[in-house]
Amino acid sequence: MNSDDGRSTRREVLVQLGAAVAGLSVNSTFGPISPAQARDQGLPWKHFSAEEGKALEALGDALLPGAQQAGIAHYIDHQLGQEAPLLFLQYMDLPGPYVDFYKQGLSCLQQMSQTRFGSSFEGCTPERKSAMIRDMLKGSVSGWNEPPAFLFYFVIRNDAVDVCYGTAAGFKKLGVPYMALLEPPRKW
Amino acid sequence: MDKVDIVIAGSGASGSLLAAELSQAGKTVLVLEGGPERTSRDLYSSQLWARRIKWSGPRTETGGRDPLAVNFGSGWGTGGASLHHYAVWLRRHADDFDLRSRFGVGFDWPITYDELRPFYDQVQKEIGISGDTEAEVWRPPGDPYPMPPRKIFNQAKIIAEGFRKLGMRTSQVPMAINSTEYNGRPACVYDGWCDAGCPIMALGNPLAVYLPRARKTGAIIAHNRCVTRVLMNENGDRCAGVEYYDESGVRHVQEASLVIVASYAFQTPRILLNSANAKHRNGLANSSGLVGKHMMTHISGNIFGLFKENTENYLGTTGGQLLSQERYAKDPRRGYVNSSQWLIANALKPNDLLGIANSRPDLFGNALHTFMQTACKHLATMTFVGESLPDSENRLILSNAKDRFGLPLARATHSFGTDDLKCYRDGVEEGKAIFRAAGAYEVWASEHVRMHAMGGAMMGRDARASVTNSYGQTHDVPNLFIAGPSLFPTSAAVNPNFTIHAVTLRTARHIIDSWTVLS
Repeated sequence: MNSDDGRSTRREVLVQLGAAVAGLSVNSTFGPISPAQARDQGLPWKHFSAEEGKALEALGDALLPGAQQAGIAHYIDHQLGQEAPLLFLQYMDLPGPYVDFYKQGLSCLQQMSQTRFGSSFEGCTPERKSAMIRDMLKGSVSGWNEPPAFLFYFVIRNDAVDVCYGTAAGFKKLGVPYMALLEPPRKW
Repeated sequence: MDKVDIVIAGSGASGSLLAAELSQAGKTVLVLEGGPERTSRDLYSSQLWARRIKWSGPRTETGGRDPLAVNFGSGWGTGGASLHHYAVWLRRHADDFDLRSRFGVGFDWPITYDELRPFYDQVQKEIGISGDTEAEVWRPPGDPYPMPPRKIFNQAKIIAEGFRKLGMRTSQVPMAINSTEYNGRPACVYDGWCDAGCPIMALGNPLAVYLPRARKTGAIIAHNRCVTRVLMNENGDRCAGVEYYDESGVRHVQEASLVIVASYAFQTPRILLNSANAKHRNGLANSSGLVGKHMMTHISGNIFGLFKENTENYLGTTGGQLLSQERYAKDPRRGYVNSSQWLIANALKPNDLLGIANSRPDLFGNALHTFMQTACKHLATMTFVGESLPDSENRLILSNAKDRFGLPLARATHSFGTDDLKCYRDGVEEGKAIFRAAGAYEVWASEHVRMHAMGGAMMGRDARASVTNSYGQTHDVPNLFIAGPSLFPTSAAVNPNFTIHAVTLRTARHIIDSWTVLS
């Protein structure tokens, strides 16, 4: 029940606590599933090639271990198809389309990896991945074009944090009470 | 729709207040909101879903050494930026209104604190503010806060001890957030989801107070109606209405006796510049050449510290729990006159732009996991808010790029000045000392960032040196008004929303009192 002006009453929103499991989800033919489930089921990416998807997973996992399993690439891929994507990238005030940001950044990443180690980023050892990430962090990567290396690092790192820690399940891993007044929808 | 008395572009803080006041006075009011309709049921407790209520309309290109934060600070849909604001409601100090006369920098406002005070008091009563009138020793004169202080949690208590040891005072930060039930709205539950919008309306956003009242008195709020230009009559001396596009991209004209542009700091000057015509070649209301000039933002940043104690940093309100304005008084002996303040013990979430993970953007890999586990229990923070002096080089112009309706986008350029940066650096050193005194075993500071957006259509007494008078009435077009932070000639160091409301209420009363002349 709502008040006359359409706002939810406190009682109403408190009742909604626990009514749904808050979480990220992507749509499949079987309804909304989590990005992790989408990855487990091997759902194809709509915006990324297989190589791009694997590189994105590898970078996400190097930035925050567990991001690959949490479905970072499926999460980003799904959001890129939405009319109003819920991506961190929105805050960077960049021109669209957002998919170009990811594709161009991944291209630079692979170029850096091939130039330095003769291998794809995902094929590199953890130590080599870390060395490249440290250079991205410093913004000192020769031959890296747009988007800037640090910006790409910063955005993918935030995407990784979103999928690992941005939901009720993520809060729980950190021991942080979620305290939702209005649970996010299950279907995105 | 038939001709209305008043058409308002934007349903944010100022647009919603104007709609309520003017429709209550019997005027026919139409609010054209560019974004979609939002209700309390859209305000999900999630930093991910909160992105949906941030700006995603026509892009503003940004440039300069310190680009303005557009999307994060603006709103998209009902309530505008005010729907996700943190409700830190502070009054400007008396000397914030005459910076030029007293200190030889910036500009004077065309109104004084004493003139604005009754409007602060009135808005405070309508929205409801919780705070500690006595303990807030820096507070300009005004009616006592209508609600008692809110609860204080460990993070605030720990940091306050650092202030105390250095001989600095703190008080509760006054907020448009209920500490008790107020006018039928419930008390805050301290869940820290303010940035995502408050679905129970404990926070005084436009959905909580002014938009319901506006609708009740007959104002119409029409969504997905993007105002693109103000249209003039044949003589070019009065405006006749506005041009807007609906979500299908169909152009419409809405006639009105009076037009108010209340489209926040980026779109307001853009609309004026895009409204250029044969008689107003440089944009509407721009005979001074100042439309888009003197864009401002607060210079801001955070002090972070790790403490042995559990800081309970997930509890409270996003805007902070305590306030210190010990460095607010303008003192040229410092080498600059910029004021500053601390907003202490902000409630934190793990992710998002202001989340715990971004307090250490240099960490990655397992080190980031380890930090998150520690910081979620032991991190404390406080936010520096510094005044930024107006600079004509900080401006918004039209871009060569166009929006989907074929109109030029905005391009905003901004860099902080030398004094702004000095003020920030001094604040950082002070903040670190406070955290060390409070017992932090590790202390660091963020880079300086941009908080809030103001300026671009400044008010003033002289038509050659300002865009509007003190009521937001443009000097060039008598039935065209501007509302919102665009009017601010200077930024001060307090969060702008309380002043936006007070100035807007004064505008509303003026329009009602002067209706015969204005219409």
